[in-house]
Amino acid sequence: MSENIPSTGGAEPVDPRTAQRWVRTPPIDIFETSEGLVLRADLPGVAPESLELQVQDNRLSLFGRVHAPLEADAQILHQEYRVGDFVRSFILSDDVDHDRIRAKLADGVLELTLPRARKAEPRKIVVQGGEPS
Amino acid sequence: MRLFRWGNALEAFRDLQQEMDRLLESVNLASDGLRYGQPYPPTNIYDAGSAFLITVELPGLNASDVEISLANGVLTMKGERGANEGVPGDQYRRCERPRGSWERQFALPERVEEEGIRADLRNGILVLKLPKSPSTQPRQIPVNGGAATVAGASGGEGQGDV
Repeated sequence: MSENIPSTGGAEPVDPRTAQRWVRTPPIDIFETSEGLVLRADLPGVAPESLELQVQDNRLSLFGRVHAPLEADAQILHQEYRVGDFVRSFILSDDVDHDRIRAKLADGVLELTLPRARKAEPRKIVVQGGEPS
Repeated sequence: MRLFRWGNALEAFRDLQQEMDRLLESVNLASDGLRYGQPYPPTNIYDAGSAFLITVELPGLNASDVEISLANGVLTMKGERGANEGVPGDQYRRCERPRGSWERQFALPERVEEEGIRADLRNGILVLKLPKSPSTQPRQIPVNGGAATVAGASGGEGQGDV
């Protein structure tokens, strides 16, 4: 479920550019493909350069910093979402090939490709016979 | 269809919303997902001095997916995020992102210059800039003094509905 963790205090954030920042949990989709898994996350307001992805042990964590496209003195009149940074982490299953994880961020949507590790292919062993003399 | 109005109705709405937030927080339910009837897409409105700003969270949409029109002082925004993006439903392990078509309407206050409205969609956030018209400057109205006999009969009636 989504959760709102105020980083400072509980008062209504008026100016999104001040120190008062919210942490939000982005909604995600995960689906299977023939090569592995694809994860998509909605990160509106996150630019590619302000998204951090990290894999440590089996935990993949994402942190997306949101830069509000507003003048500093903008006063909020009506609020349906809170401006805040996106944080979420996932446990990767053992068969995900960590070295081949790819990430793409476009129009505020992150797409992570999590390929399955390649299974050992059956390998033929060539038998060399001795030359008949 | 949602119609949004500036002015006193807005203040009342904001008070109600804050009151609801306080109530929900007191029972620890004040997370986004649990407040039913949350309008989609989530929209904030700001007063930036010389202009009003409307920001809308629209991840995954680009400029050609959003249609904005203005008629009779009502701003209409609509768009659609395609279902499933070509992925068969049985391949989903998790499906949290909202999709489908949406439409929202906002009644503009009279003090907006309709010709100057600009819309910009970047990184999944739509920003609408509505410049205020210069006629909103406060104007002094001179008060003419008259005979004291007129005031008594209707005194106070004009101030009743603040």
